[in-house]
Amino acid sequence: MSTDVAIRPGRAHAPQNRSRRRPRPKRDRGRVLRLYVPLGLYLVFTLIPFYWMVVFAVRPSGSTTPVPWPITFEHFETVWNDIGYAVFFRNSVIVGVWSLLATTVLAVMGGYALSRFRFRGRSLFMVVLLCTQFIPGAMLLIPLFTIFKTLGLINNLGSLIVADTVFNLPLSVILMSGFISAVPFTVEEAAMVDGCTRLRAFLAVVLPQLRPGLIAVGSFAFIHTWNNFLFALMFVSRQDSFTIPVGLSYTIGEYSADFGALAAGGVVAAVPVVCVFAVVQRYLVTGISAGAVKG
Amino acid sequence: MKRTTAWAAIAVLTVAVAGCGSGSDPGSEESGKTTITFWDNNGGTRTPIYQELIKRFETANPTIHVEYVGIPIASVQQKYDTAIAGGDTPDVGGVTTSYLANLVGQQALEPADDWLGKSAVNGKLAAPMLDSVRDTVPDGKLYLVPGTSNLDVVWYLKDKLPEAPKTWDEFFTDAHELTKAPDQYGYTIRGGAGSIFQVLAEMYAYSGVTEFFDASGKSTVNDPKNVEYLTKLAGLYKKDTPEADVTNDFPKMVAAFGTGKIAMMHHNLGSYNDQVKAHGADKIGAFALPTGLSGKRTIVANPVDGFAVFKGSEHKDAAWKFVEFLVSKESNSYWNQQTGQIPANTEAQGDSWVTALPHLKTAVDALNDPNTAVVSPPYYLPQFSSITKADTEPLFQKVLLGQMKPQEFLDTMAQKLTDAQAEWKKATGG
Amino acid sequence: MASLRRRAVPYLLISPTVALIAAFLVYPIGSVAYYSLQNRNLTRPWADGFAGLENFRRMLFEDELFWQSLGFTAKWVVAEIGLQLLLGLALALIVNESFIGRGLARSLVFSPWAVSGVLTTGIWILLYTPQTGVLRFLGQPETAVLGNLDTVFPAVVVTELWRGVPFFAILLLAGLQGIPGELYEAAAVDGAGRVRRFRHVTLPHLRDAIVLATLLRSVWEFNNVDLLYTLTGGGPAQVTTTLPLYVAQRAIDSKDFGYGSALTMAGFVILLFFSLLYLRLSRFGEER
Repeated sequence: MSTDVAIRPGRAHAPQNRSRRRPRPKRDRGRVLRLYVPLGLYLVFTLIPFYWMVVFAVRPSGSTTPVPWPITFEHFETVWNDIGYAVFFRNSVIVGVWSLLATTVLAVMGGYALSRFRFRGRSLFMVVLLCTQFIPGAMLLIPLFTIFKTLGLINNLGSLIVADTVFNLPLSVILMSGFISAVPFTVEEAAMVDGCTRLRAFLAVVLPQLRPGLIAVGSFAFIHTWNNFLFALMFVSRQDSFTIPVGLSYTIGEYSADFGALAAGGVVAAVPVVCVFAVVQRYLVTGISAGAVKG
Repeated sequence: MKRTTAWAAIAVLTVAVAGCGSGSDPGSEESGKTTITFWDNNGGTRTPIYQELIKRFETANPTIHVEYVGIPIASVQQKYDTAIAGGDTPDVGGVTTSYLANLVGQQALEPADDWLGKSAVNGKLAAPMLDSVRDTVPDGKLYLVPGTSNLDVVWYLKDKLPEAPKTWDEFFTDAHELTKAPDQYGYTIRGGAGSIFQVLAEMYAYSGVTEFFDASGKSTVNDPKNVEYLTKLAGLYKKDTPEADVTNDFPKMVAAFGTGKIAMMHHNLGSYNDQVKAHGADKIGAFALPTGLSGKRTIVANPVDGFAVFKGSEHKDAAWKFVEFLVSKESNSYWNQQTGQIPANTEAQGDSWVTALPHLKTAVDALNDPNTAVVSPPYYLPQFSSITKADTEPLFQKVLLGQMKPQEFLDTMAQKLTDAQAEWKKATGG
Repeated sequence: MASLRRRAVPYLLISPTVALIAAFLVYPIGSVAYYSLQNRNLTRPWADGFAGLENFRRMLFEDELFWQSLGFTAKWVVAEIGLQLLLGLALALIVNESFIGRGLARSLVFSPWAVSGVLTTGIWILLYTPQTGVLRFLGQPETAVLGNLDTVFPAVVVTELWRGVPFFAILLLAGLQGIPGELYEAAAVDGAGRVRRFRHVTLPHLRDAIVLATLLRSVWEFNNVDLLYTLTGGGPAQVTTTLPLYVAQRAIDSKDFGYGSALTMAGFVILLFFSLLYLRLSRFGEER
């Protein structure tokens, strides 16, 4: 029988991971064609650039051999010492995590309002959220700078956290409202009939089912912030407050294009994030959709 | 429950990490120390050089602390514009004459004339560079203290090209002979971002025209001899140069050259360190652009790079002290030795390392030769940057692709320059 | 009393978001609108002043590049979003299944997202440059992918695809989690094959997610120029210039802020129009 679907009030966790443990008989060729071949092809496409990055990072400048030998770590040294990467990395993490937390919390709140209530100004709110995405950040730079200066946030990582949150919010709110709408309201209703307040019903019953949505929205917010270059360079003017994208852009310029350092810096920047992804992606399941497209 | 603990752990971690966040406000006085901020307009590989210089400066001046901020060169103009508009400029900044007019136009810089008159380096800075700086602004004041200048050179691989060409004919012959299919090329053209300046340098070197505008204010860019050169250059494309050239900005061009498959590349002294890293110091050589039709070596002046003090600085004395230190003989010599460029300090120019580096010796000799004519591009024109970038770079690509004739391209550029010159003369009272 | 408090709940929930947007976005966006009506060039202050609709007139009637870039932008957005959606959906379906190494596969599939823009363009430049790139191993040593007018569009599409597919993959994978497994069981019992189950169970549940994702991502692709800026500079000869890239070159590089603001406002109006149209046509949010 399929895993239990009806979430009874009071059960905070849907059964999870059960489907993963169940061994699947790899019986048919069709499965290989539908699954492994496209996946394999796509993985090759995805990984070639990463391979190139690693190759450039450990190969002496100017070499063109496809398999790097001998290996050199001089680029990593350049990046860590000359360019001062450790500080950039720390700053990127601080800004990323704080903006992730702020965005996710506010997105859940706003998303819930959009999804569960038909209030006056709802459509307007959504249109306004959309409109904020229509202007590229580079055109808003100087007015934003003036605002942050007035608030005294220039040269402070706080300006980046706020700016990134503000720019991530509209997308996050809209996406979150979509995820919340996917959870039928009957589930909360049942909980409230049982005596929970709306808030408790939400926390106990809806939030667990929102886990994939939270992961998705949180990842987007984090990644946008992690990769943001413009604000990180413009709102901050202290060497110890720059973030990784700024550090990476040091390597390519008019008088010097050090692809080795760029690649080394990129490896340092990407590896931790990929590892975190590897851990976090496990939570992109709630288990209720086990076997969505049956083989 | 696992999930809550995980979140709690993350929360604690971030608070802890944030706790060791940004430090104290720069520019503040702590126990009698003055702090000044210095923005490096080419942050990154030059950072260690400045850090060393700053260390020496602070040892000699214990009451001044210099806070170094490295700005990536590709974004430096945008950074300065934002800072000026937002009122958050540094005390000292690295500036070049290619955007000096822009900064002066926004009234952001402090003139250096008074300070220079009283300074120990007065009379020790190369006169051509000082003149170049003054020519960039309408009021002729010195807004930038020169530290270094650059020169266009053609880098070449010694094992492919044993002897550097001395005339343009030799150059074109060499480019042709060194091209062997499928992937060995004699030359590579910079067809992408930054193409126009290089093309101008080549054209004027070939044609020998010495003024950017003739007596009546018309641009000389479409002089028939310039057109002749451009036609020859466009003829090289795809035959003796790679097809990829048409979108070559500096990173792409140097990445391709770095693989050793291309014999010659036009750039400037500034990329010396990259060339050595990719090829090895003994395999790479440089020659100045060959002499052209006039028989005289003609060089288009590169932007002068130096240091400016900003009007908004609250510690101008300390700022000037730092600038003085940077252009004094030892520092200027050290800096230019590390980067391989031409020192602005005339005493530093005489240092032994200058003559020991062959590519630099070529450059300095060419510049100091009394027969050399120097053409100054009109950096003072506010539209010069946009004319030589957004307006004409795409057209140059069309020329390479055969969609536009060289004559038409140069006529278009000449017209824009002539108009800009006329407008500027009117706006600044001639 | 209680009902008043209850009615206030949605407003309270959205108030922090509204406050942030009001504080940080209204004034800047307003200033762009303001500057679109001005002549403002940072380097030629003597020409500054009120321009009325002059910028717009110039844009619509004299600027060939405006229309050309608009056309290319449409082509770019449609190609990217279409391909990203298809690949993202396919990937989401694949990694939703159980198989050995699923965790690893997922991390790898999503990993291009972890890579910063500067790095993405840097690596792909290396991949496409003939001397350092990947094509020499595929028997095509000479193809100058970015310099050739025929291949430059597919080349930039592929690069952006590499970077953009994970967005759809993650979003749709999360969306797939919300579909109760018993619906598939019921459909299977009714005799529906794989394709029909997909069409009648999966797609309807994903509809809202797909509409949102494509809309938001389209806006993002429209406005985001870092890749094109670095990879081709909008070239060769401006064939890969989108409208926002044109804005970046005009407003930021050439410092013609007034005209650049006018171009931005044009982009704003276009995006607004199409977003509303798209939402209306897709019958977003209606009960199924």
